[in-house]
Amino acid sequence: MSQHSQKKKWQELAAKELKGKHTDSLNWETPEGILVKPIYTAEDLEGLDSVNTLSGIAPYMRGPTATMYANRPWTIRQYAGFATAKESNDFYRKNLAAGQTGLSVAFDLATHRGYDSDHPRVAGDVGKAGVAIDSVEDMKILFNQIPLDKVSVSMTMNGAVLPVLAGYIVAAEEQGVQQNQLAGTIQNDILKEYLTRNTYIYPPRSSMRIVSDIISYCSQNMPRYNTVSISGYHIMEAGADSVLQTAFTLADGKEYIRAAIDGGLKIDDFAPRLSFFFGVGMNFFMEIAMLRAARFLWHKIVSEFNPTNLRSAVLRTHVQTSGWSLTQQDPYNNIIRTTLEALAAVLGGTQSLHTNSFDEAVSLPTPLSARTARNTQIIIQEESQICHVVDPLGGSYYIESLTASIIREAQKIMDEIEQLGGMARAIETGMPKMRIEESAARRQARIDQGKDTIVGVNKYRVKDEVPMDVLEVPSSVRDEQINRIKQIKARRDNPAVQKALEKITNVAQKGGNLLAASIDAVRLRATVGEVSDAVEKVFGRYVATTRVISGAYASEYGDSEIIAALRKRVKLFFEKTGRRPRMLVTKMGQDGHDRGIKVVATAYADLGFDVDISPMFQTPEEAAKMAIENDVHLVGVSSLAAGHKTLVPQLIENLKKMGGEEIIVVVGGVIPPVDYDFLYSKGVQGIFGPGTAITESADKVLQLLEEKFLKVK
Amino acid sequence: MEKPDAQSYIQGVLNRDRRMLAKTITLIESTLPADQKVAQQILDALLPQTGKALRLGITGLPGAGKSTFIESFGMMLIRKGYSVAVLAVDPSSPKTGGSILADKTRMEKLAVNERAFIRPSPSGKTLGGVARKTRETLLVCEAAGFDVVMVETVGVGQSEVSVASMVDFFLVLMIAGGGDELQGIKKGVLELADAIAVNKADGDNIERAKLAQHQYEIAFHLLSPPYRNWTPPVVTCSSITMAGLENIHKIILDHRDKLTESGELQVKRQEQDRDWLLFMVREGVQEWFYESPAAQLLAELLQEVEKGTITPTTAAARILGCLKGLRF
Repeated sequence: MSQHSQKKKWQELAAKELKGKHTDSLNWETPEGILVKPIYTAEDLEGLDSVNTLSGIAPYMRGPTATMYANRPWTIRQYAGFATAKESNDFYRKNLAAGQTGLSVAFDLATHRGYDSDHPRVAGDVGKAGVAIDSVEDMKILFNQIPLDKVSVSMTMNGAVLPVLAGYIVAAEEQGVQQNQLAGTIQNDILKEYLTRNTYIYPPRSSMRIVSDIISYCSQNMPRYNTVSISGYHIMEAGADSVLQTAFTLADGKEYIRAAIDGGLKIDDFAPRLSFFFGVGMNFFMEIAMLRAARFLWHKIVSEFNPTNLRSAVLRTHVQTSGWSLTQQDPYNNIIRTTLEALAAVLGGTQSLHTNSFDEAVSLPTPLSARTARNTQIIIQEESQICHVVDPLGGSYYIESLTASIIREAQKIMDEIEQLGGMARAIETGMPKMRIEESAARRQARIDQGKDTIVGVNKYRVKDEVPMDVLEVPSSVRDEQINRIKQIKARRDNPAVQKALEKITNVAQKGGNLLAASIDAVRLRATVGEVSDAVEKVFGRYVATTRVISGAYASEYGDSEIIAALRKRVKLFFEKTGRRPRMLVTKMGQDGHDRGIKVVATAYADLGFDVDISPMFQTPEEAAKMAIENDVHLVGVSSLAAGHKTLVPQLIENLKKMGGEEIIVVVGGVIPPVDYDFLYSKGVQGIFGPGTAITESADKVLQLLEEKFLKVK
Repeated sequence: MEKPDAQSYIQGVLNRDRRMLAKTITLIESTLPADQKVAQQILDALLPQTGKALRLGITGLPGAGKSTFIESFGMMLIRKGYSVAVLAVDPSSPKTGGSILADKTRMEKLAVNERAFIRPSPSGKTLGGVARKTRETLLVCEAAGFDVVMVETVGVGQSEVSVASMVDFFLVLMIAGGGDELQGIKKGVLELADAIAVNKADGDNIERAKLAQHQYEIAFHLLSPPYRNWTPPVVTCSSITMAGLENIHKIILDHRDKLTESGELQVKRQEQDRDWLLFMVREGVQEWFYESPAAQLLAELLQEVEKGTITPTTAAARILGCLKGLRF
């Protein structure tokens, strides 16, 4: 087929509407670098082998099953968990009664990192960003009166997978549910933890052994259970665009296949139980195309391993709407954002969906915000009549062309990863992390300049915002957990527990299945921390190297007047005081989300600051020592997991104790506005919530520095 | 902000007060003449207390694992009862002047240890500046009583020469590559080495590391040894498994004993001080020259040389003639 017969005429008309400008002026280059034209025709579909295929049939681009939502809509699976197991259980049961169809458990960061609630490093983390689980007793309370043979449970767990999955299995067992009846998913996607989020415990290779042990155990004993949920969500939230998300996620998947095959399994033993988890943001058509492209590519990847079971090469996915796209400012806008993202996920053909609550940019969901989020999906499912047709956008010139573009671009990156020797090796070289961070810094610069509009943040701002209700987890949760650990340890058969733990260490050292050994120990009431320690004795605790790119923020921002003005002030500060403004950026507690802190580090360095970066997972005392030693003017704390009220005052205390009372402390991240006054009263001098432009925070930071160090002499 | 007087800094450093030690280093790093004057007072007062630490320079190409080596080696020294100071220089962006100082993210255990003090510093604009600051900071850490001071240098090039000229022992870290072991690292850097360690000798990399070790040994035979009593050894090590770290410590102590006994260590430090004085004078003269009216004359003569209206020799003679007219 050649050019559309009326294309010329269209161009003439368009030129008239554009008052003489060429139609190319309407072209848009997406963040992925894909050129989008103002109109698509059949010409754009020529030669595309993905077009005009059918759902349920290879290459599965249009959907993993033949009938899709026409027969059965997606599972409404809301991710939730906070405080104690008891409180989370109440919440789950209410949600199930109100139309939710599956569970998704959020664990607190102490649990993720394999620490019991009584560990000194987790003082600010217990029960905050998820539910605190220390033993199978907590797990039993968590699933009390929830029939685990009927309700499928998804658990977001990657670090402490062994004790948590073992706890779930034993809790089910004591409910009378057999292992082969269990349906659900454990995330168990450790590779992406090294790229983003950082909730790992052990080094990459040892962690891959654990993944492979779990795949192997489940393929024999839990045939309905999804053993790995290969997650692009966190990669996207870290700042990756759709092409990067697709490429890195699928490359992770390929690495798991290799690990399982190296572990002695056959492709068809486990590939049908690999599932995916994608993040969907605001770039509406791109998100739809991404899910279609991912299915196409996964089929291609798995086919290289010659499966005989057709289900092996089918990509099934869960989707969560983007948390990063939510704003603290004018928060009810988030309902609309989430609706659009949910719609994209559905039109892209997801198998299950989590929709974010509108207050999630600042705190845990309240009952109202959780209900609104759930109803967003239910309304799409039950009121909009969208479900009747499979892949309704299939055949659209634009969507098909966009899908093909993502397939092509993602394939290029995957080829690059293959050349490096696969994803595990690529992660070691730092390549994927650098790409993600570069993408994140560029996006931040676009938002800060207003090139990417965010309503309520960089456009149409509301003057007087009404504070929202927030749900706060009291610090007494930790005391409750500590008490329960004490009780359990007093009642159990301690010598038997010790023996079971030694067995785990032994298996880690000499071989055998770690999940099987963990189940035995957990049955005897070994805690999450104890099981993790038993493995750590052999594998060690991993520390990631932090690499930070430079220049990306400023180069995307261009030489604007705002940047120039800030640089001038930095230079003046340097000339007057004899040194550049020096800032330590740090994260305390077990919160491993480091996108924000890295974007800040690179952007401030681009402005001319000397920026110190602390290791991850600091205690307030450790962060204070570093600030003192490096003699910084200012500490910037990034907090995204609700630990700020405990950890930030402790940091300020420690700074004073060590003689650094003049060091300015500012906080950025997810801080509910109701906590601002508390933090100010403790000595914090600046707070930057989600959606604060870097240039805006730098202006404030410079103002603080100028007042303190330039005025008095 | 009110700054303490020189005496408080001096007392603070001698008491090994972390805050005052850090503040003293800040003074040394400051570009304000007033700060530098106080810094010199402090240094003069501290000088009698210096000279007792083991001064270690550590270099290697990017990716050789310098920071991780310092983390593991430093922790080993601390377990042996030593206190450790680490000075690391990170490059400042020539365009924006800013820098990212992430060394401590790779020295996680050492960074939080009570007996360790780590100070990353931005390089700033001039090489001479870094060399002065690092050397003076090293002296301050010595006065504070640290047993070992490690200086980490970035990349390969001139900074190695300046660091080698301020330490007792210069360790060059290498990794096994694809056979071209000597590529990238300059011969000049090898000549400065008191030992070479092939790092990352762990897991499936051990054999390759051993092969590289052998190749460096051969290369070393082609160089003349820096001292009568010392032939730089080539060893392997791993910051992960800790293999070879004990051995490196033994080599360093051995080096110190042998060179102390022969008197070469004292001579080395004397030479370093001499060189340092000469370097400072050279830098100072250059700086002074470019700010003096003679710089204007130089600019004019440069143009004439380009045009061919005057020979370089005549031009130089005219400038030097002007300088000779100055009186001291």
